[in-house]
Amino acid sequence: MDISFYALGTIFVPVIGSITIPIIGLLSKKLRNLWAVLLGIATFILPLFLMSYVIKDPSGEFIFRYPFIFGLDFILLIDALSVFVSIVSSFIGALILLYSIDYIAGNEFQDEYYMMVVMFIGSMMGLVYSGNLVFMYLFWEIAAICSWRLIGFYRYPEHIVKADKSFLITFFGAVVMLFGFIQIHGATHTFDMTAMRTVPVSSFAVFLILIGMFSKSATFPLHTWLPDAGVAPSTVTSLLHAAVLVKIGVYAYARIFCYTFNIPVEWNTAIPVLVMFSSLVSAGAALVEYDIKRILALSTVSQIGYIFLGFWTRTVMGVAGAALFILMHGLAKAGLFLCAGIIEHGTGKRDIRQLGGLFRSMPFTAASFLLCIFSVIGIPPFGGFFSKFMVISGTVEAGRPGVAFAGLLIAVMTAIYLFRLFHAVFLGQGNTEGHEGSSLMVGIVVALAVLSLMAGVFIGLSGGFAELSAIHLLEKIK
Amino acid sequence: MIDEYLIFYPVLVPILAGIVCWCIPEPLKKLRNAVAVLACGFLIWLSAIIYYQHQPIYFSSIWFVSNINFSLKATALSSFIVLWISIFSFLITLYVAEKMASEKSREFITYLLITTGFACGAVLSNSFVPLLFFWEGLLVTLYLFILLGGKPDSFRTALKAFVLVGLCDFCFIGGVALYWKMTGSFDFPVRPIPVSGIGLASFILMVIGATGKAGALPFHTWIPDAAVDAPVGFMAFLPGALEKLLGIYLLTVICFDFFSIIPGSPGSMGLMSLGALTIVIAVSMALIQKDIKRLLSYHAISQVGYMIVGIGTGMPAGIAGGLFHMLNNAIYKSALFLGAGSVEHKTKTSDLKFLGGLYNQMPVTGLCFIICAAAISGVWPLNGYVSKEMVIHSALETGYKIFAVACWIGAILTFASFLKASHSMFFGETREQFKDVKENGPVILFPMIVLAALCIFFGVYNRVPLSMISGSVSLTSHHEFSAHALDILNPISGITVLCLIIAFLLHTYGWYKAGKKAHLASEVVHNLPVIKKLYELAERRIFDIYHQGMRLVNSLSIALYYGFDRSSDWLYETLIVQSGKKAINSLRFVHRGYVSEYAGWIFVGVFLVALFILIF
Repeated sequence: MDISFYALGTIFVPVIGSITIPIIGLLSKKLRNLWAVLLGIATFILPLFLMSYVIKDPSGEFIFRYPFIFGLDFILLIDALSVFVSIVSSFIGALILLYSIDYIAGNEFQDEYYMMVVMFIGSMMGLVYSGNLVFMYLFWEIAAICSWRLIGFYRYPEHIVKADKSFLITFFGAVVMLFGFIQIHGATHTFDMTAMRTVPVSSFAVFLILIGMFSKSATFPLHTWLPDAGVAPSTVTSLLHAAVLVKIGVYAYARIFCYTFNIPVEWNTAIPVLVMFSSLVSAGAALVEYDIKRILALSTVSQIGYIFLGFWTRTVMGVAGAALFILMHGLAKAGLFLCAGIIEHGTGKRDIRQLGGLFRSMPFTAASFLLCIFSVIGIPPFGGFFSKFMVISGTVEAGRPGVAFAGLLIAVMTAIYLFRLFHAVFLGQGNTEGHEGSSLMVGIVVALAVLSLMAGVFIGLSGGFAELSAIHLLEKIK
Repeated sequence: MIDEYLIFYPVLVPILAGIVCWCIPEPLKKLRNAVAVLACGFLIWLSAIIYYQHQPIYFSSIWFVSNINFSLKATALSSFIVLWISIFSFLITLYVAEKMASEKSREFITYLLITTGFACGAVLSNSFVPLLFFWEGLLVTLYLFILLGGKPDSFRTALKAFVLVGLCDFCFIGGVALYWKMTGSFDFPVRPIPVSGIGLASFILMVIGATGKAGALPFHTWIPDAAVDAPVGFMAFLPGALEKLLGIYLLTVICFDFFSIIPGSPGSMGLMSLGALTIVIAVSMALIQKDIKRLLSYHAISQVGYMIVGIGTGMPAGIAGGLFHMLNNAIYKSALFLGAGSVEHKTKTSDLKFLGGLYNQMPVTGLCFIICAAAISGVWPLNGYVSKEMVIHSALETGYKIFAVACWIGAILTFASFLKASHSMFFGETREQFKDVKENGPVILFPMIVLAALCIFFGVYNRVPLSMISGSVSLTSHHEFSAHALDILNPISGITVLCLIIAFLLHTYGWYKAGKKAHLASEVVHNLPVIKKLYELAERRIFDIYHQGMRLVNSLSIALYYGFDRSSDWLYETLIVQSGKKAINSLRFVHRGYVSEYAGWIFVGVFLVALFILIF
């Protein structure tokens, strides 16, 4: 089969398939659940076929154009980075769908839930393979609508407010970014990223686009919607943090500022300082908060800074590290949020002051939580070590040892707030009543924890592909 | 032809054995213990084969990205360290398998074996990335080991250890990244580079990584806390032995393979100063302790100072002395912790105040403890005497007598505190409640007897370990360290002997002044003016870098939280939402459904559009 078939399938199987979910839901609830999981698995399997193409091809890039209205082409851009990110996101998405079967059972509006989750994943796939800024924006906004609906899933008034807040901040960012795209269009007369490579862009356009990226990837000062989004079901927060939403901004950064344009020199100082400051602020806030999901959300904000930093370096080491970071952080953070889901399910509490001593009643969840913490901090042999090490090394290589050192200090703060969380929930004097999750739910979190470990032990499997994606990404605008 | 894959076995065998032990259920505890002991025995055999190859074994392959190699190399020094790691793992496994409560022994043995594998990997690494991989990986088991203590504060101490050692490890990563920036390769360099410019920053960061792991100041404060909150087997294994072997090994490699430390250079002076401060401050704290495990833990820190001074001299005898002291310390410190652990196990206390007269009940444990206490105090002709003398001689040769003076102060206070400890535990009147205490079984005694015997053997026949060490260190010329090692009739050794006499007099005087209570013998020093105030501040953790650092981090976090996080949220939640509400209310006010008002708005609108067209 043609390579474009797999890429189109990766996008449209979940996007179109999601619309069929409510219809199947009318027939049977079980069939609907199965169908949603199958769609998730298909979305994960299809990009696997693309791997061999991008590895074998010397240029490592395939571009397909499909004419669309108003002279816009729907452009498929298949390279190692897009394949890597799509595999990571769809894999974590599929695991979350599987976990959802037990987690969301008993809730109303499940048709809507599954439809939105699958479409959410599909929109991420569309964005990842888009070679046209307009289509990138289109999928960007589909993801925003899905996240808005999912954050307010329980329909409590205060949840709706938080969902609106998330939507408005990210939508504001997206609209500002669109102005940036239009400015670039004014200079290049095209929205085709492959046709505008190496064209100089104005500093102001970069500023506008960065606002969009920072709002989506929850970077200071546009980050506060992400902790508030913790009102959503844990599966949704897991999706937002690990698989889809916050990764959209960093992926767009890589695609636009590493692959398409040379970023103006003045931003070379501002970006690393800004992203590390964002990491520092959120790490500090995580040490003060008491809500499990808010702490984990702030941890995501903090870790996203490293991914931006890695892509900013534009060195093979840094960019490969950032790509690996997407994988390692995705696995570990999905595990942590799903553990938080089990804790919330089992105890009905999220405030760490009311929790404690859960290691006895939830040993598997606790052990999985601990393993995922090690990975997020960046301790070997867990996968998080390699990604963090490469980003730090890449930053030094890019001539910013001070920023790299700040990154190391933030890693120490990461250890402090994550262990504070672990101690408060699972150890300590408290003796909270609680029970372990269902075997499926616990199985998924154990799998994610073990994968976080295995991803480090067998780093050769993902590391080589991440390096390839960095090399292909960076060589285009040299 | 040497099989290059042989070098993998010291890493893989213990890790796999650890996983197997973890899988063996509790009813098969004896099988699990047997697997662990056999695996460690097998590891000794493997390590001996590698050591006695007399030529480097080398393996290298591209790892996960093209410029990062997974490279291992068994040099004379690294295989020497691996051999001793194996021996300590074997002895501690034997002790733990017999002594530890069943529900915890499975986890302890698993962590011990995995730690052994990672430690061997760190020592055998010939490239920075595998070194970091194994080196930092030890943090995981460090944390888990301390949690096993199961005391109310165990998890706080585990976090403290993790943060302090992790901070040192992250500094080491920073040093490696800078080194890579300078040399362009993650492989260990063929030639060392000078300590200047970025090299100086890299050197300092790497030294923090190595000395922090070894337990030197100021990152040492978790060790006394762990002594109380962690299992005693852990104290004997990690802070007592393995971390010294690893930290000092790495420090040696940093100083002479990665960088070139010349005697008298700023790098050399900096290291010797760090060592001297570590000796004096830690031993001063050890002297006033009344819990035997805390006392030993401060000595574990203090002894690192001698090693750092020795290596910092940059002289062959100093380096060899530092390395020999590393080995000696691991031997007697493990035995001392095991002895203290056995006493605590039998008496249910580690407070010197409640102990006494146990020599009659536990003669073998007591004898082993006293031999090791004499060895750590530098009593002739034990191993500690030889290595300390080598360090002191080299420190004097640098021309800076202050470092030798620090070593002598350390010798006085070390001996005084061990006189107090031994006296309090084993001599004096036997307490009523300990009359029925029995000596440990042979399996528990075996490691202590072996280690105590090594203290004597390595002192009297110091030629054996010193020839191993001198063959391991790349020295510019052949040095026969052993020839005068036990020579007591020279002025420098005379001062050392005088120090021991002063310590004895100090203890006797203190004991007498305290109403013949041995555990209060150090109070004469404790209550000296100024010194007393300093001790008070130290006990209030004013000098604890973790305590102060956490206060700083918490204050910073609150400032960041309210100053930036909440204030930016206020912008959205309050300012924008309230402004938006006001704007909406204003619009509502003018949209009340009256046709006349809408007509008015249309009129104003048309007027403004017309005005715009006319002007532009």
